[in-house]
Amino acid sequence: MNSEKVVFAFFIVLALTLNFGFFLGGMDNAEHHNIYELFAAIVVSLISTVLKVGDRTHLGAVFLATSLVADLQLIAAAIVWGVVANVYNEPLSGHALATVVSLSGGALLANIISVILLISETVSVRK
Amino acid sequence: MSNLIYILFRRLRSPMILLILVYAVSITGFVIIPGVDDNGQTWQMSFFHAFYFVSFMGTTIGFGEIPYAFTNAQRFWALITMYATVISWLYGIGVLLSVFQDSVFLHQMKTNSFSRRIRNLREPFYIICGYGDTGVQLAKSLSSEGIISVIIDPSPERINELESEDFLIPPLGLCADASQSEILEMAGIKQQNCQGIVTIANDDTVNLTVAVVAQLLNPKLRLIARAETPEAEANILSFGANEVINPFETFAFRLSLALQSSSLYCLYDWTTCASGATMNEPPILASGNWIICGFGRFGGALYEHLDDSDVKLSIIEPDRQRRDLPSGSIIGRPTEAPTLKKAGIEEASGIIAGTDNDANNLSILLTASELNPDIFRIARQNEDKNSHLFQAAEFEMLMQRGSIVANTIFALIRTPMLGDFLRIVSRFKKEKAGEVISRMIGVVEDDVPKLWEFQVTEEDTPALYKTIQTRQTTVREIFQGETLHGSNHREKSLSAMPLFMKRDDSNVLLPEDERIIRVGDRFLICGTQGAHRQMNNLLSNINLLENILSGEEIPTGILWRWMTGKNLSDEKVPRESTKKEDSR
Repeated sequence: MNSEKVVFAFFIVLALTLNFGFFLGGMDNAEHHNIYELFAAIVVSLISTVLKVGDRTHLGAVFLATSLVADLQLIAAAIVWGVVANVYNEPLSGHALATVVSLSGGALLANIISVILLISETVSVRK
Repeated sequence: MSNLIYILFRRLRSPMILLILVYAVSITGFVIIPGVDDNGQTWQMSFFHAFYFVSFMGTTIGFGEIPYAFTNAQRFWALITMYATVISWLYGIGVLLSVFQDSVFLHQMKTNSFSRRIRNLREPFYIICGYGDTGVQLAKSLSSEGIISVIIDPSPERINELESEDFLIPPLGLCADASQSEILEMAGIKQQNCQGIVTIANDDTVNLTVAVVAQLLNPKLRLIARAETPEAEANILSFGANEVINPFETFAFRLSLALQSSSLYCLYDWTTCASGATMNEPPILASGNWIICGFGRFGGALYEHLDDSDVKLSIIEPDRQRRDLPSGSIIGRPTEAPTLKKAGIEEASGIIAGTDNDANNLSILLTASELNPDIFRIARQNEDKNSHLFQAAEFEMLMQRGSIVANTIFALIRTPMLGDFLRIVSRFKKEKAGEVISRMIGVVEDDVPKLWEFQVTEEDTPALYKTIQTRQTTVREIFQGETLHGSNHREKSLSAMPLFMKRDDSNVLLPEDERIIRVGDRFLICGTQGAHRQMNNLLSNINLLENILSGEEIPTGILWRWMTGKNLSDEKVPRESTKKEDSR
C-alpha cells in the first residue's frame, strides 16, 4: 500500500471530478455552475501539477503537460469571471458565461487525458 | 539546465503544496464569512476580493481592510490566516535558498555553465589536465600568448585558486576527474577549435588514462603528456603521435649537455626558456668528482646520463633498499657533514642536491658550501612556493620541477617544429652547435630571442604565396629589411635567421640563402621581437614585399600601375592588411 501513489491518484481523480462537476449544466444558466466548485477545481489542479513535477520519464512529462493545460484553462476561466463580475460589475450571463464554461470544458478534456494515462499506467504495472 | 529545474521543483514540492492549501482555505473563509458595507448591509466578499486581500496579507504588504472595514468575524479569520500565510511563504523561501546553497545543486550549475561556455568557444584552446605548479605556469604562459586554456583538476581548492590568479585571458576551469571520457568530452576534446590536450597530472596512471581516452575520442588531436617513469613514457609513446616529457630525464639530459657541450645546452635553454629572458652565458661545469645526493628518479636519471661522460660520480642515498643503487654509493643522510666528507666533498667539483624534499636540498647545499666554498651547486626545487628561498640562496644552477616541464610544453605548443629541430640538433657535435650559437648571438645580439614559425600558405602568408606563383623567391630575399627609397639603396637585413625548414617529410637545418621557397614549406625562425613583427608585415603585405624584392617603388593603385606599366605580378593585387599578429 503505497501512500504516495494513493495521494497522487487521489488528486488527479479529484481534479477531474471537480472539473466535470463544474462543467456540467446548461451553458446559458449561471445557476448551474457553482463558483466554489471552480475555485476547488483550480486549487486541486494546482496541487496535482505540483505533484507531477519532477518526474523525468516520458510518461511523467506528458502528465505534467496535461496538468499544465488544465491549469491554464481553469485560471483563464477564473480571470474571465473575475473581470466580468468585478471590473464590469455585471452578473455572469450570456457570452461571458459561455466563455467560462467552454474554458472549463477544455480543462476537462485535459484532465480526462490525464486520468486515461493514469489508468493505462496502472494497468501496465503487473504488481 | 533541465536537471537543475527538476532538482529545484522536487525540493520545492512540499512548500508549494502547503502554500496552495493555505491560500485556498484562507480565500474560502473570506468568501464565506459575510462582511458589512458602509450602509450597514450584509455584503459577501467575492473570490476576486478575497484573493486580492489574502495576496497582500500573505506577502506582508497589508494595504488595509478593503473595500469596507471588516466585521469582527472577518477579523478573527484574518488573524488566523495572517500567520498561516506568512509562515508558509517564509518556509517556501527558506527551502528555495537552501536548494541554491546545496552542494549538489551548485556542482550541477557549475558543470552546466562550464560545458555551455566550452560549446560557445570559437577561439583555439588547449585542454590542460592537472593544475599543479606546472599547470599554473603553463596556463600563465598560454594566456600571455593569447591562447585560451581549459583546465581540469580533481582538487576544488586548486580550481578555486584560478579565480584569484592574474591571467591576461582567464582560463575555464572544472573540478573533475580528467580520466573520465564524459569530462573530456565536456571539455571540448572533439571540438574543431581544440588545438591539443596537455596532461600533466602528478600521477602517471592518470596521464596514461587521459592519453588513452583522448586517443579513442579524437585520434588526430595533439597530445603532450608528462611521465615520470620510463615505463609510462614508453607506454604513452607506443600509440598515437604523442609527445612525452619526463621532467627528470629532461633535466638530466640538459645537465649532461652542460657538462659535455655547453653550446648545445645554451641552445636548449634559450629555445625553451620562458619568454622575456635574455640569452645567458653557458655555465662552466668542471669535470672531476661530482656528488649526487638522493638516488630517486632524478638521481637515477642523472647517473645514467652522466655515467658516460668523463666525470666521476659519487652517490649519497639514505635508503639502503633503493633498487639499482650502483656499487660504491654511500649510504647515509646527505644533510650531515660527515656523510658529505665521506663522499669526498672537499675535493669535489660539484654537488647536486636531488632529493624530493626542498628543505633537505637547501640544507645539503648550505652544508656543502661550508665544507667547500668553491663547489658548483645544483639544486632541485620541488615546490613553487619555495622559490624565493632558492633565489635567495643563489645557487649556481637551479632545476625547478614545474618550470622545466611547463616551459618545454609551452615551447612545443607555440612552435611545434621545435621538437623536431631539437631532436636533430641533439646529435650535433660540439663544434657545429657552437657555430649555430654564435650565429644566433650575432643575429639577436643583446635583445631577447624569440622563436616563431610559419608555413607558406595562402591564409598565413598571403603576400609570399602570391609572389612565389610569379617569380622564384629565395630564402635570403625574405630576410631583407626595409629598403630606403630614393638614392639611398641601403639594404638592412632583419635581425632574424632561419633555423630549420620542413618540406613535406624532409628536414633542412639552417637552410641556405639561395634556397627557393615553395608553397607548403614550413620555417622555424629565431630573431628579435622587432624582426618578428617586420617579417609578419612583409609576408602579409604584398606592397611591402614587392617593394623589398624589386628594390624600387611599385605603385599601389590600378591607375598608376597601368600608366607606368610597372607590375611585379600580372593580376590586380588588392591592398592586404596584416593578418598575422604576434601577441596581443
